[in-house]
This record gives sequence, structure tokens and C-alpha cells, in this order.
Amino acid sequence: MAASPMVNPGNQPVWVNTDNCKACDICVSVCPSGVLGMKYESTSTLGAMISIDHPEACIGCNECELTCPDFAIYVADSKEYKAAGFSFAKLTDESKERQAAVVANNYMSLSEQGVK
Amino acid sequence: MAFNYDKYLRLEKMPTLWCWGCGDGVILKAFVRAIDKMGIDQNDVCVVSGIGCSGRFSSYIDFNTVHTTHGRTVAYATGIKLSRPDKLVVCVGGDGDALAIGGNHTIHACRRNIDMTFIVINNFIYGLTNSQTSPTTPKGMWTVSQKAGNIDPTFDACKLAIAAGASFVGREAMLDPKKLEKIFIKAMQHKGFSFVDTLSNCHINLGRKNKMVSAMENLEWIDSITMPKKKYDALTPEEQLNLLPTGILKEDTEADEYCEMYAEIQKVQQGLRKPISQDDFAKKI
Amino acid sequence: MATREVISTGNELAAIAAVDAGCRFFGGYPLTPSSEIMHEISDLLPKVGGVAIQMEDEIGGICCVIGAAMAGDRALTATSGPGMSLKAENLGLAQMAEVPLVCINVMRGGPSTGLPTRVSQGDILQSKNPSHGDYKSITLCAGSLAECYTETVRAFNLADRFMQPVIVLLDETIGHMHGKANIPTAEDVVAGIVPRKTFDGPAEEYFPYDCGPTEPATLNPMFTGYRYHFTGLHHDKNGFPTEEIETCRKLIQRLEDKVAMHEDEVESYEEFMMDDAEIMIVAYGSVSLAAKESIRHLRKEGIKAGLFRPITIWPSPAKKIKEYTDKIEKVLVVELNIGQFHSEVQRAAARLDIDGLFKVNGRALSPHEIVSKVKEL
Repeated sequence: MAASPMVNPGNQPVWVNTDNCKACDICVSVCPSGVLGMKYESTSTLGAMISIDHPEACIGCNECELTCPDFAIYVADSKEYKAAGFSFAKLTDESKERQAAVVANNYMSLSEQGVK
Repeated sequence: MAFNYDKYLRLEKMPTLWCWGCGDGVILKAFVRAIDKMGIDQNDVCVVSGIGCSGRFSSYIDFNTVHTTHGRTVAYATGIKLSRPDKLVVCVGGDGDALAIGGNHTIHACRRNIDMTFIVINNFIYGLTNSQTSPTTPKGMWTVSQKAGNIDPTFDACKLAIAAGASFVGREAMLDPKKLEKIFIKAMQHKGFSFVDTLSNCHINLGRKNKMVSAMENLEWIDSITMPKKKYDALTPEEQLNLLPTGILKEDTEADEYCEMYAEIQKVQQGLRKPISQDDFAKKI
Repeated sequence: MATREVISTGNELAAIAAVDAGCRFFGGYPLTPSSEIMHEISDLLPKVGGVAIQMEDEIGGICCVIGAAMAGDRALTATSGPGMSLKAENLGLAQMAEVPLVCINVMRGGPSTGLPTRVSQGDILQSKNPSHGDYKSITLCAGSLAECYTETVRAFNLADRFMQPVIVLLDETIGHMHGKANIPTAEDVVAGIVPRKTFDGPAEEYFPYDCGPTEPATLNPMFTGYRYHFTGLHHDKNGFPTEEIETCRKLIQRLEDKVAMHEDEVESYEEFMMDDAEIMIVAYGSVSLAAKESIRHLRKEGIKAGLFRPITIWPSPAKKIKEYTDKIEKVLVVELNIGQFHSEVQRAAARLDIDGLFKVNGRALSPHEIVSKVKEL
């Protein structure tokens, strides 16, 4: 029952509604660019919460938004984002490697220990 | 591509009661995007759902919604559609709802080819009620009603729908929300009975008891048992044995649609045309 | 009120009545002895732009009717005992979601397959609670050819008034009886249609299930700009499922009270020669025709019998029954079942000595049988 999460909270490429996130890991698993990770959060479902660790690496592919079952993550509209003078990143080897590391870390952010 | 789901949601009901990572939410979003792309007014849409986790689908979306008894989704929808044939009527049911208790209504709605879309959220188990065998549960899996292993053969829901006469039959998994959205649009735009076998993951009930604990493992499993139709058709029968083809499996745009045929009956009774006879049909038997 | 004389059967009159009363949707399945209602209405409805469909089974029959009623149509289904049993679950959903519809039951020999082509009145108790849970059934019983018409019309208006299914009981005798009936004109019936209440304020201010404790829900037809949710679960004022304690309690109590507190609007009975009666016969449906004939016969012999005939079976006319049973010692309930309404009369009268004449062999009761029984009392 959060306030409308559709509004981009300040020109972000991607943002989350933590009221709706159930820590299912799916968005983290489909991001090609290592933008996302789960952080420990003792008061939420499964004790974890989505975290946007590297928004600067977001390529705007929208996979996270499409595959999130819970309306918890949103990606900026590419036309509006560009019109506001911003642009999405390009996919790099570095971000791909980081994504592989996050997956290997049980979808937890690299700053967390990968145990649920 | 931020999409305004809010317009279509009953926000005071969020978050959904579905488990973390449940495909139902992905399917719901694909459906909402499909309706939006079709540009249909919310007041002209009716979503009818059955009993089960998929049954809660209708309570989250801001259309004319009905939550019916187990298995009767399509029967209620038949009354709504015949009463208001110009409106969009969509049924959402689970594998148990559509193929077990609701089997009879499903096959007859297919037979009548009445213009509505049936999204069958097939998660291979009875999820809401904790893991009983459904008509699509793979043989040999553990279920709470067959703890020694499932001996029940499975239905191929699409083959059933095709045999029963549905004029649009397709299958997609919630793995690819873009494909899902596309097939929903095609199904709803199709004039006739559209049946979409929508594969979903139930890691909490089916998965956990069958060595697939996480949502991710279940998604990988669904990926491993599906294959796009073109590739599937090129396989040998042995290779096809444990695969389900995805995509549009049948699309007949010429089949008579029931509401239109009923309008002909109304014309007959109002003296506007001669009675319907065998000569009106190419295939009559 | 002007009347017209017609020659028809009970089943056909019921079908004609439905269409005259504004019914525009029928869903059903063939079941002896009710099938003629479907045959007749399948012919009539398309003429007036309505829809009739023979579904794949009885359950499909009631479900599509509920769907059509949700969409806003006056809707009818017709069946007999075995079909009522199949429809029970969904009749319950219509009660819970407060969807108006009319369900005609042309009673035949039961239980189970019973006697498909023969008469009984064995579904009286079933009509009180066809489905599980707490709610208040409205059940009417036609006691003549004309009432097959008038009670069906009344049923549609009651369904819209109380927003729930209304059961109309015929029996095989009356359903198949062919003869003259004086019925209201179609114009008078149309003029007397009282459709369901609707809300015409702004959609944000519309709460379909937000009503006073003795009032029915206000359910706008679908597709008219007011979007809400129907469910068989306990629900809040929007129709959304809830388990909140007070909301649930109030909902169930209201399903009971919306009828119980307005029984005067539903109640209907006939008092035939009851003014000076020393013996009260209670009978309904086709049996009441034989009962009236037997009373004429008994009166000729100086025996002051009278007939109390409930037309609304449920809620039963308990108060009126008690008024009589407090003064009259000899009370005989005559029915084609083993005392289904008899037990209600005993309950209403707070007496355990009410007599009964019961017949369950699929044949009608003759005036002669009733006369003999009365003389034995």
C-alpha cells in the first residue's frame, strides 16, 4: 500500500518499491549488468531486500521489471529518460563479470556473504 | 519503459498474497500490459477466475472481476459473454481448475468456440491447497496425495483444447514475459475460444518437495521441458517425449464463433432470415 | 387488473412468465419433468433479443445464469431434484455474492434418480438449504396453473428486491397439467417490474456491499462504469476477500436479516374456508387442488374443514400457522413426501401432535384419500 511507485524518484534508471519486494532473486538473476543484488534485511520476507548497487551500469533492458512478480522494481521510460538528458549505460565485460560474481554469491550483493 | 501498472491495479490490495518468486505475478503483469497495448477501456473488460492461487488473479486488477467456484470459471464466463457479446471476457484458472474439476466446462467452451480467452496458469500442482496431484503433475513426482510417487498420467492441455475444438491454442511460460504479452494479445484479439497454457513455477509446493527448492531452479526446469514449436517439430518422437512445444499451436480464424451463430438464431426467431439448416455448414458432423 | 385466458401447461406458463417479467437469459440442461421450460423459453427468448443456452451439465446451467445476472440480465434456470443437488454449490455463491436469479424446480420422485416422470414434493427441505452455510432461502410454490405464471413473475421481482436466488417449486403434476388459466396481461406484468436497485453516483463513492444491516447489496450491472469484485469468499464493502472478524460476522448476519427482517414482503399464503374451520388441512402445490376438492366434499357432509396453503414456503408462514394451530385442535398436513413441511408446521405450532397424510409412491393424492384421512382424525 505504498504511495505510487511509478514516479521516478529523481532521474534514476532503475528504482525499487521495497514495500512490495519479496526477495525472490529473480530480478538479480536476469540482470545482464550486475546492477542489482540482495542485502540482508532482518525485518523483510526471507530476511533480504533488493538493493540497486550499481545504477550507473543499468543498460535499460527492462528484464528486471518484466520478470518481477511483485511490482517491486521499475525502469525509467527510455524516451523520457533521454529527453531529460540522461542515458542508459552500455553492457561491458566488467559488468558481465560482476553479474556472474553476484550469481555465484547466491544473488547477494558482493558486499554481503553469499549465504541466505 | 516504466509502465504504469497502477492504473490497472487495486493498489490497496498490494502486495499480492502469492509466494516470493511465484510466476503468477509475472503473468498478471504481462496480462495488464497486453490489455494496455490493445487500448481497451477497463470498463469493457471482465476477468473471471477460479479457485486456487491463480484464482486470486482477478482480485488484484481493476476490471469487472469475478471470483467463482472451483472449475466453473468458463461456465460463468459463458453467461457473461452471451449476455454482453461485445465485451472482452477473459478467464483465468489453474491446471486443476481447468483440467480436473472444470474439465467438462473447458472442453465444451472449446467445442462451442465462444469468443473468450482462457489463460490456464499451469504450475503442475495444486498449489494453494498444498501440493496435491493435478492432471499435469509429472509422473513420479512427490505430491502430498501420492507420497510414494505420482502414478497419474498427465494431460497435454493444448492437445486437449485442440481436440475439443478451440480455434486458438498456444503455450508460453512465464520465463519470457515479452512472449507472454504477445501471445495474450493475439489470444484476446482472436475471435473464438483462445486457450493459452501458461506454464508457471510453484517452487513452494511442487518444487521444494521435488528437489527444486528455489524459484530459479523451477524456472530452469520449465525451460528444460519447453521448446519453441519450430524446433520441436524438427525433433524425433523420442526427443519430443518430455518436451512441450511453445508458441501458437493452432490458429483458425475461419471457425464459426458461438455468439455470432447465436445472433443468427435471434434473426431466425425474429423473422429476419430462414431457419438454420445443415446446408449452412461445411462441416456438420 | 385485467386478465387473459390462456390454455397451456404449467411448464410453458412458467417460461412465458419469465419472458414477460423481463428475463433475457436462460441457462439449463434437460431434466425431466422440467425440460419443457427450456424448450419453450429457447424459442421465446431469441425473439426478444435474449439468449437461451443448453449447457453441458446442470452445473454449467446455473453458473452461466449467475454470470448473466452479474452482467445485469434477469436470468432463469429450470431443473428438477437431481439438478438442484448439482446446482447447490453455485446457488450458495449466488447467495453469498448476492446475485439475483430465479431457479425453477419441477419436483419429481426422489431421492437420486427416483421416479423421473412421476410426482413428488420431496424437495421442500432441500429448498430451505440447498447449499452449505447460513443464508435465508426464498422459496415459492405454485399451487395452480395460473400460479405457475404469477409466482414466476413474483420470483423475479423478489430476486431483484432481495438480491439472491429465488426458488420456484412446481411439481410434475402441475408442470405437465394442461388446461385453462386466467393470468395477468403481459402489459400489467411489465408495468409491475421492479428492477434491482442501482447506484448512480460517482464511481469512487460506490461500495456495492456497503449497506444497512437489513438491506441487500446494491450491485450495478457490469460494464457500466462501476468496477467491483464478486466472490464467494467473505468480502468487504468492495467485494474483496477479507477475514476480518466484524466484517465477516456482519455479512453473514445481513444475509439472514435482509430477508428475516422483511418477511412481510415475501410472505404469501391462501386461506380457503378457514374462517370457521374446525379441521385445518395444510397443503401446497398440486396437492392443494385435491385438498380443496376434498374440503368441498367434506363440507357437504357437514365437516368444517379448511385449507391453509402456503404459497411462500420459505420463509414459512410460521406466525400465521401458529395463529390457527393455537385455536384448532385437528391439523392435518398433506404432502407427497414423508413430512418435510409437517415438521415445519410442528415447529411453528410448538406442538408434536400434528397429523400427517404422506404419499411417496410417485402418484397424486386424490380428494377421496384426503377425505378418508380427515374422517379418521
